[in-house]
Amino acid sequence: MKIELNGNEYTAGNGITVQNLIDELKLNIKSTAVAVNKTIVPKSSYAVFTLNENDKIDMVTIAPGG
Amino acid sequence: MESNIKENGDVLKIGKYTFKSRLLIGTGKYPDFQTMKDSADASGAEIITVAVRRIDFNAKENLLSYIDLDKYILLPNTAGCYTAEDAVNTLRLARELDVFRTDLVKLEVIGDPKTLYPDNEELLKAAKILVKEGFTVMPYMMDDPVLAKKLEDAGCPVVMPLASPIGSGLGIRNPYNIKIIKETVSVPVIVDAGVGTASDACKTMELGVDGILINTAIAGAVNPVNMAAAMKNAVEAGRLAYLSGRIPMKLYAQASTQMEGIVF
Repeated sequence: MKIELNGNEYTAGNGITVQNLIDELKLNIKSTAVAVNKTIVPKSSYAVFTLNENDKIDMVTIAPGG
Repeated sequence: MESNIKENGDVLKIGKYTFKSRLLIGTGKYPDFQTMKDSADASGAEIITVAVRRIDFNAKENLLSYIDLDKYILLPNTAGCYTAEDAVNTLRLARELDVFRTDLVKLEVIGDPKTLYPDNEELLKAAKILVKEGFTVMPYMMDDPVLAKKLEDAGCPVVMPLASPIGSGLGIRNPYNIKIIKETVSVPVIVDAGVGTASDACKTMELGVDGILINTAIAGAVNPVNMAAAMKNAVEAGRLAYLSGRIPMKLYAQASTQMEGIVF
């Protein structure tokens, strides 16, 4: 299925969870925060939060800033 | 010098947190991450600010691998947010990152892209929400004593007025307002933005403020690491001079050498 990941189209497996996506992208879970359709997903829900077609996923981390 | 300050117990208190260093630095605009790391080390800062941004999946390296999380407290900012809602949501999202050891956050709500001056109404609105949600809010604000009082009343345990626009290096444009803010609020005052060089930092600290947050003046210097060291010394010198009590200014000379016993 197609989802939007950080502004770009991304093809993900049907029924994939946030946790699956983090694993697939080999991200450090400690330094990653996730919002789906602009709603923040708590870490405790990653394993059960299922993504749907056309969901807009934002995955953030720290970046340089003043 | 440093040991005297420590002996006197002169520390910076922000809410429930206590710091020895009165210099806070940003991590933006450095030529590379290594220079950022070396500059942070040279500055003696305990708090460093960071932004929260989308992960760049193609990046070869990331900021986090250059930051010792046991050594520094990371302060997430809301740079680029123009509404209270965006700023609040940014920090709620930041809270999900397991890299922040404290609930300290730097709140900025920008009102104008050219000056990067804050939007007072949105700032106050966001501060009230975030305080209720348990954040320790450090608001970047105009050098406005009335707003400083409102932010203090809203529960901010520190206020952070600008010296001059972000990244301008103009130094402290209205020292009198900064002094009035210091007299108006009982929470610490950290001057955030506008410092250009070490003398600006020193003069700012001599006004009696409690700390300074610097990014561009260090990151944009020809030698950022040495400038970080210069800022560290300037902040310490300015603080110590303030605590020591400067002499009053006089119009005419006052001899340093006694006349008694003079021969010719």
